[in-house]
Amino acid sequence: MAVMKTTREVKGVGLAIPRPDGPEKVTGQVQYVADIKPKGMLHAKLLRSPHAHARIVKIDTSRAKTLPGVRAIVTARDIPELKRKAPTRAHAVLAIDRVVFVGQPVAAIAADELAIAEEAMDLIDVQYEVLPAAVDPLKSMQVGAPPVADAGTEADTSEALAHSGVAVAKTEAAPTKAVNVAQQAKLGRGDVAKGFAESDVIVEKTYRVPMVHQGYLEPHAVLAQWDTNGQLTLYSSTQGSFNTRSEVAEVLHIEENRIKVIPVECGGGFGGKIRALCEPITAVLARVTKRPVRYVMTRREELDAGMPAPQVIIKLKTGAKRDGTLTALDAETVIESGAFSGAVLTMSAVFVSSVYQFPTFEVRASEVLTHKPSIAAYRAPTAPQTFFAIDSQMEQMARELGLDPVEFRMRHLMKEGDPMANGQPWQSNGAKQCLARLAEHPLWKSRAEWKASGGKDGRGLRGVGLAVGGWIPGLQPTGATVRLNPDGSLQVLTGQVDIAGTNIALAQIAASAYGVDIDKVKITTGDTDTAPMTGLSAGSKTVYTVGTAVLQAAQDARRQTLEIAAKEMEAAIEDLEIEDGRVVVRGVPDKGVTLASIGKKGNLYMSKVPPVLGVAHPAFAVQAPAFAAQLARIEVDPDTGEVTLHDFVVVQDAGKAINPLGVEGQMQGGAVQSLGIALTEGMMYDDAGRLMNPSLLDYRKLTAADLPNIETIIVEVPAPAGPFGARGVGEPPIVPAPAALANAIHDATGVRLTEAPLTPERIALALASR
Amino acid sequence: MSKQILSCIVNGESTEVLVQPYVTLLDALREDLGLTGPKEGCGTGDCGACTIHLDGEPVASCLMLAMQVRGREVRTIEGLGTNGTLHPLQEAFVRLGVPQCGFCIPGALMAAAALLNEHPRPTEEQIRYGIAGNLCRCTGYTKMVAAITEAAGALPAKGA
Repeated sequence: MAVMKTTREVKGVGLAIPRPDGPEKVTGQVQYVADIKPKGMLHAKLLRSPHAHARIVKIDTSRAKTLPGVRAIVTARDIPELKRKAPTRAHAVLAIDRVVFVGQPVAAIAADELAIAEEAMDLIDVQYEVLPAAVDPLKSMQVGAPPVADAGTEADTSEALAHSGVAVAKTEAAPTKAVNVAQQAKLGRGDVAKGFAESDVIVEKTYRVPMVHQGYLEPHAVLAQWDTNGQLTLYSSTQGSFNTRSEVAEVLHIEENRIKVIPVECGGGFGGKIRALCEPITAVLARVTKRPVRYVMTRREELDAGMPAPQVIIKLKTGAKRDGTLTALDAETVIESGAFSGAVLTMSAVFVSSVYQFPTFEVRASEVLTHKPSIAAYRAPTAPQTFFAIDSQMEQMARELGLDPVEFRMRHLMKEGDPMANGQPWQSNGAKQCLARLAEHPLWKSRAEWKASGGKDGRGLRGVGLAVGGWIPGLQPTGATVRLNPDGSLQVLTGQVDIAGTNIALAQIAASAYGVDIDKVKITTGDTDTAPMTGLSAGSKTVYTVGTAVLQAAQDARRQTLEIAAKEMEAAIEDLEIEDGRVVVRGVPDKGVTLASIGKKGNLYMSKVPPVLGVAHPAFAVQAPAFAAQLARIEVDPDTGEVTLHDFVVVQDAGKAINPLGVEGQMQGGAVQSLGIALTEGMMYDDAGRLMNPSLLDYRKLTAADLPNIETIIVEVPAPAGPFGARGVGEPPIVPAPAALANAIHDATGVRLTEAPLTPERIALALASR
Repeated sequence: MSKQILSCIVNGESTEVLVQPYVTLLDALREDLGLTGPKEGCGTGDCGACTIHLDGEPVASCLMLAMQVRGREVRTIEGLGTNGTLHPLQEAFVRLGVPQCGFCIPGALMAAAALLNEHPRPTEEQIRYGIAGNLCRCTGYTKMVAAITEAAGALPAKGA
């Protein structure tokens, strides 16, 4: 369907306007799951394993059950649906006879008060036989390591599929006897040995980024309620109500139409709320007690037993000729998934070998299980870690070759049509435009002066660094409807969970596609009983996919509206236009009918005019890679290793910024998450698999006082299949900062750090051993 | 343990409520008084989402027992605006598009309001330190700092 042009610019796409639910959010009126409290509601707590790996010898709940106010205590034997070889965390509702990470739920309690449920936890007696734990992924890959999954458990690849069609990259299963290697893939092209033989410069480094937690400020929360007909209602803090419904239906063996998921306001997800986590156990407690049950995780539980991002270790060897020609790349990537499989294995391999076009390469990727909490997505899963490796490496190669680091990158950065590692062509994207725009920035142009201004008179060592990073946004079929109301306003319905402010962008698309101003459009997120099936709010795909559905539904509604008007005015449909709330004949402004009159007739007793109902439910085939480039201007204290971030710039290709206010918010928020991975964040485990920094005091997220203003520059390289040319914007900004900071630190000090976070301690030690 | 009567002033109104002596001020506000604007992001005073004003000073309501506020004045996000109109800070937060997920916003606004009480014309550094106890994972703080700066311009200077 071609986009029908309106003769008059409506207030829609391109406007920087605030989200309409802002007033509710700033007054505390918006309700999250923990704010909802139906009559008779019980509070849930989960008793969790203190051991990373142990056999459960006995669970005695008899004392806890006698505590007044305790309504139910559930263990694995009380859940008939529970099976061994759980492929995902959601399936492993409670541990059966073996725990595989610290914090794994062993028993669940529902009580009148939270304090009673907490007291009951102390009265449950669990006897464990502690077993050796596999904590280090490199040791866990070895033959003879303590097994994590039950023998015969299949690897879970659905996470990768949810994110990106790039998961179809051809993979080669390598035979392995190591029990904890869940998946392996090998990608390659050309004669790597020959490539290295022809190299003048070879750089070999091993990069490591630890597990990091998404840190959404609202912990996981769910409220479950069964009615007398056996219908389950779940109020859930989720990034995708339909996906949550499917997962819960599968785990509890009930039909999907017996579950209604109401996507309550989601207090942040960033990938961590894609998969079901505590929905099944809360539903079980509500079923057993026949009461509404609410479960809200504590921050400690989130850090101990949430679903963080994997640790990624990349051993990288790259070669080039003296003139800067790339020759070969050899990479070994290890992705540590914790206790259950689910890593996006091939994205890292694709990024490491084909964002910069190496003529020959070989990548061997492994997903390794350990006795730690299983991982989930975190905004561009594995991309910040992978670009940390490849963009640090490109900078290092340019320096060793004596070449300009931007020119060297520009020469090798892929463009549309170049092959990805899996042989498929790169789609149209703005990676080069982002880097070129950043290279024009005064902070980059003046980097020599900045560097020269440091180091003397007791001042710190100064440097500037930049890096590229991106993501290939996911695709998922999705639906939308657009109705014309009897007063001439529009009503848009999807099931899209609006976390960051995507609903306003979708409404802007509807306004421009139909031909009314944005203030005439209302958009609603429906629950799974009422909304058209809608995909996840993840994978940078809301505007690209749901936006397309809304665009097509609005076009459909427009076509129906014009057909009705054409009949009424006895005019040809091609001569009609929508202007100021009226359908008019082009060039004859007096002749027209109002949208309100058309809308009214659609709901009039005995009317022969059908109601206008635009419907679209597209599926998608063409991905739109989305890239950003970031620059950091820093100062390093030569004694303490402390980094002060003076300036930070994000350039990003939005395709078309449907709502620049929202796009900037994504760029700034993503950049700060990227800076957190670069500078302060990391989950630290002891040898027994216990998290050593299980609080937001010890696990340091960046605060306002740590940061400068984040400057944003939006580049628009239209995505051919995106609505109005838009492409995904959520994920790219979390990618480049670890490499940009490592490059800036190298510029300032001459030391190359390859292990994140780039802490003062690591920098000071590296400076001391120069 | 039996419940006790807590008498205090909440958002300008004298309030009496029965609370368990072991509940935190945050839980009493949320569960017993139905004021769910303040949020629990950590329960250990590290995230700032539960920030309220106690006798005009910003405090983490998750770190206090409810009974500690006997006879004192509590103000939550629900009491920041007046008579249904938004406080200049709230207005600026909306206009500049600060809220994304929104979970940190009630606490951040209360911290910002306390900051402006102390420094009606704050520098950027004062703003950044003023909200340093409020973690936000969506915005990167840039728009938040801008909104506080704008609101400070809209508020009458102290003594004016």
